[in-house]
Amino acid sequence: MSVWIDILLATLSVALAVRCLTAPTLAQCVFLFFAFGLTLALAWARLGAVDVAIAEAAIGAGFLGVLLIDALRDFAPAKEATVEDAEGYAAGGSAAEGSAAGVPLRAGRAALPLLPLAIAAVVFVLLTAEAVLNVRDGGGLTELAQENLARSGVDHPVTAVLLNYRSYDTWLEVGVVLIALLAIFAVGNGGTFARRDHVTHDPVLEPVSRILAPVLFLIGGFLLFLGKYEPGGAFQAAVLWGAMGILLYLAGWPVMTCLPRVWWQVLLTAGFGVFMLLGLAFMSGGGAWFEYPLAHAGNLILLIETLAALSIAAALTAIFAFFHEMHAPDATETPEK
Amino acid sequence: MNAMETYQIYLTASAVLFTTGLAGVFMARHFFRRIVATKIMGAGVFLSLVSFAERDALEFADPVPHAMVITGIVVAVSAAAFALALARRIHQLTGEHDFTTDS
Amino acid sequence: MTDFPTSIWPALLVAVPITFALGTVFFAAAGRMWSGLAGSVATTLVSALAIAAAVREGGLIHHLGGWEPPLGILLRLDPLAAVFIGMTALTGIAVSFYAASYLRSQDDLPRGASLFWPLWLMLWAGLNGMFLSNDLFNLFVAIEVVGISAVGLAVLSGKPPALMAGLRYLLVAITGSMSYLFGVALLFGAYGTLDLTLLSAAVEPGATTVFALVLMTLGLMAKSAFFPLHFWLPPAHGSELPPVSALLSALVVKGSFYILLRLWAEVFGVSLTFAAGQLIGVCGAAAVIWGSWQALNQDRLKLIIAHSSVAQLGYLLMVFPLLILAPGTAVAVASDWTSSAWTAAVYQTLSHAFAKSSLFLAAGVIVIAAGHDCRESLLDLVARRPMTAFAIGLAGISLTGLPPSGGFFAKWMLLKAAIASGQWWWAPAVLAGSFLTAGYVFMILRLAFAPGNSDTENRPVPRGLESAALLLAVASFFIIVPAEAVISFLESSAPFGSAIVPGEGGVLP
Repeated sequence: MSVWIDILLATLSVALAVRCLTAPTLAQCVFLFFAFGLTLALAWARLGAVDVAIAEAAIGAGFLGVLLIDALRDFAPAKEATVEDAEGYAAGGSAAEGSAAGVPLRAGRAALPLLPLAIAAVVFVLLTAEAVLNVRDGGGLTELAQENLARSGVDHPVTAVLLNYRSYDTWLEVGVVLIALLAIFAVGNGGTFARRDHVTHDPVLEPVSRILAPVLFLIGGFLLFLGKYEPGGAFQAAVLWGAMGILLYLAGWPVMTCLPRVWWQVLLTAGFGVFMLLGLAFMSGGGAWFEYPLAHAGNLILLIETLAALSIAAALTAIFAFFHEMHAPDATETPEK
Repeated sequence: MNAMETYQIYLTASAVLFTTGLAGVFMARHFFRRIVATKIMGAGVFLSLVSFAERDALEFADPVPHAMVITGIVVAVSAAAFALALARRIHQLTGEHDFTTDS
Repeated sequence: MTDFPTSIWPALLVAVPITFALGTVFFAAAGRMWSGLAGSVATTLVSALAIAAAVREGGLIHHLGGWEPPLGILLRLDPLAAVFIGMTALTGIAVSFYAASYLRSQDDLPRGASLFWPLWLMLWAGLNGMFLSNDLFNLFVAIEVVGISAVGLAVLSGKPPALMAGLRYLLVAITGSMSYLFGVALLFGAYGTLDLTLLSAAVEPGATTVFALVLMTLGLMAKSAFFPLHFWLPPAHGSELPPVSALLSALVVKGSFYILLRLWAEVFGVSLTFAAGQLIGVCGAAAVIWGSWQALNQDRLKLIIAHSSVAQLGYLLMVFPLLILAPGTAVAVASDWTSSAWTAAVYQTLSHAFAKSSLFLAAGVIVIAAGHDCRESLLDLVARRPMTAFAIGLAGISLTGLPPSGGFFAKWMLLKAAIASGQWWWAPAVLAGSFLTAGYVFMILRLAFAPGNSDTENRPVPRGLESAALLLAVASFFIIVPAEAVISFLESSAPFGSAIVPGEGGVLP
C-alpha cells in the first residue's frame, strides 16, 4: 500500500521537474520549481531523512525560490510571447519523456535535433537506471557512525557527521556561503553594497513581523539546540533566522543599517573563522585539526553551530537585501557607505 | 521486477531527474531555466544519495549521505544565488531581459 | 600511501590562506592589498616549508578531526600533490605582486576590485585543499570553493562581456560538479567509502563503475575546458583582469586535471579499456590542432593566448592513452614509457602554468601601455617595452616546445612515450601542434619587432608588472634544471609512474 505513496511522489516529482522546465513563462517555471522542491521534501521525509527534508524545504525551495521570485521582477516583464520566441526552448524535458507537451517551438531551429536528442535522452535514462538499480550494495557507513557516536559529543548521528567526523567539509561549506556572498558583492552595483534599508514601511508586513520574527527566532534557536539529539541543527536554524532577517527587512526595519559596518563584517565571518580557529586551537595539544577533546566536544559543537548559524543567517539576509536592491533604478549610483 | 523496495523507486526517479536536469541545461536557452535545470540535476543526485542512506539503514539511516546532501544543498544554492546575481547585473547594465548564454 | 608520517603541514596549507582571506575582509582597499600580500607571502612560505618536509619524509598525512577513513577525511601531501602545490605557490606569489601593483595603478576599476584579495586567497586555499584531499566528497566541496571564487574573480572587471562569460563559466562549472557528484554518489552506494585509497582497493568492474567513470570524467573535463567542452574558456579568459586570467589559466584548470589524473590512475583502472584511453587521446589531439588553429586566427592578443590554452591543455589529455596498456602488454615492458608519460604530464602542467601566466601578465602590460590589445598594440614592442617583449618571447618558446625550455622537455617526453609504446600516431599531432604554436608565437614576435607608427600610445607601466611577467617566463625555462631531482622525488610514491592495466587497475612496474 505505502509503496503507492512512494511511486506517486516519485512520479509527481519527475512530472513537476519536466513541467517546470517546459513551462511557457518564467513565472510558471518558478512556481513549479517551488512545488517540485516541496514534493522532494516529502520524498525525503519518506526516506527517513528529516534533516534533509527541512534543509531542502527551507534553503532549496524556500530561500532560492524567494530569490527567483525577486529576480522575476527583472525578467518577467517580458511579453510572454517574446520570451517563448526568444527562448525557443527545445522541449528538453519532453524529449526526455518522449512527449512534446504542446510547447511552442521555433520550427527551424528546434525541430531538427529533437529526434536524436530524444533518443539520446532515453538511452541515457536507461543507462542511468541500469547503473543505479544494479548498484552493488556497499553497505554504507551506518555501523561505523553508530559505533563512534559516543565519542562524538552529540547524540544525533547526522550532527555527528556534520560537525565531528566530517567537520572539515562542513567548515568549507560555510566558507562557500561566504565566498558566494563576496562574489555577489563583487558583481552587483559595480562592487559596492550600499547597505540601504527598505525605506517604505509595509503596513501589512510590519504588524506581521512583530509577531512572526520572535517566533522564527525562537524556533530557530530551538532547532539549533535540538540538533544535538534530534534532526535539526545549524543549517535549519540559519534558514529560520535568515527568514526572520528577510521578513524584518521587507517590513521596513533598519536591518542592514542598525549595526556598524564592522559588526556586519564580524557577523558574516565569525562562523567560518571561529570554526577554523577552534579547530586549530586544540591542535596545540597534539591533536588533529578539528579534533575536539571529548569532555568539551558537545559544548564546542553547540558554540560552532550557533556562530555558523548566525553567519549563514546574516549572509542570507544580506544576499536577499542585495538582490532586492538590484531592482532599484538608481542602485548603480549609490555610493558605498 | 518483484517487490521493488522503497529506495529503488526513488533511485529510479533520481536517474530520471538527473537526466531531465541535464537535458534542460543543454536545451534551455534562457539562463533562468538553465539555473533551475542545474538545481533539478542536483535534486537527482541528492535523491540517489538519500536512497542509498535508506538502503543502508540499521537503527537509523546512514548519516553520512544525509550530511553530504545537506552540505550539497547549501553549496548548490550559494552557486545558484551567485548565478542569479550575475544575470541580474547583466540585465541592469544592458537592459536585456531575455538574453541567453549561447555564444 | 597511508604509511607517511602525520604532520600539521597539510592542515596549515589550507588554514593559512583562509586566515588571511578573512583578515582582508575587514580592511578598505589599501589595507586589503597589504594584508592580501602578507597572506600571499605567508602561504608561499608555508608551501615551501611543507614541501621541504614532504621531501624529507617522502610524504605527509593529516587525519582531520582525528578520525580514520572511511569515517573521517584524510589529507595527504604526497610527491605529486607537493609538485602541484609548489606550482601554485610560485605562480601565486608572482601574480600577487603583479596584482598589487596593477590594482593600485589602475583607476578605472570598479570599487569591488579590491575583493580580489579575499577571493584569490580563498581560491588558493581551495586549490591546496584539492591537491591534498584523499576523499571524493571533500574533493567536491574543494571544487566548489575553487569554482565559485574563480568565477567571482573572473567578473571583477564588472564589464558586460566579462559578466556574460562569467555566467556561462559558472553554469558550466555547476553542471560539471553536479555530474561529478552523481559519480561520487554511485561510487559511495556501490562501495560504501569515499576515501580514494580504500576505494581503489574495493572497486570492481561493472556498469555502475563505468557510469560513474563517464560522469566524473565528463564533469571534470568540462571544468578543465578540455576539448570538446572548452567553449566557455576563451571568452572568459579573454575578458578578465590580467592577473585573474593568469591565475585561472595557469592554476584553476589544472586542479580538475589533477583530480582526473588521480581518479584514472588510482580508482578507475579496473573499468578502463585501451579504447577509452584512445578516445580521450583523440579529444586531446583535436584540442591541440583546433585550439592552435583558432589562436592563429584571432585579432586580439588576449584571445590568442586564451585559445592557446585550449591547445596546450590538449597535450595533457594525450598522456592518458599512453598510461593505459594495450591487451597483452607486460607491465615490466611498459615502464619504458609510463615514466616518460607521467613526466610529460607533470612538466606540461608546470611549463604551461608558468608560460601562460607570464603571457597573460605581459598582455596586461601591453593593454596598459597601448590602451588595447589589438595587433597594432604589439608594433615595435621590442623597442618600447623590451622586458615585456623578452618575457613574451621566452614564454612563447616554451609553449612551442623549443629547447632548452620546460615545454620542450614535456613535449619531448610525450613523443618519447608515444614512440616507445608503439602508439606512434600521437606523434604527428604533437608535432603539428608545435608548428601551429610556432605560427602564432612568431606572428606576435614579428609584430613586436616591426617598426611602429608614431601614434601608438606608450603610457608608463609600473616596473613591477613587467618583472613579474619576466620572472614567470624565466621559470618556465628553468624548471628543467632540477628535472632529475623532481622526477626521482615523484617516483618515490604511487601513482607517479604507474601503468593502468585494464581490469586490474594502476600497477607500478
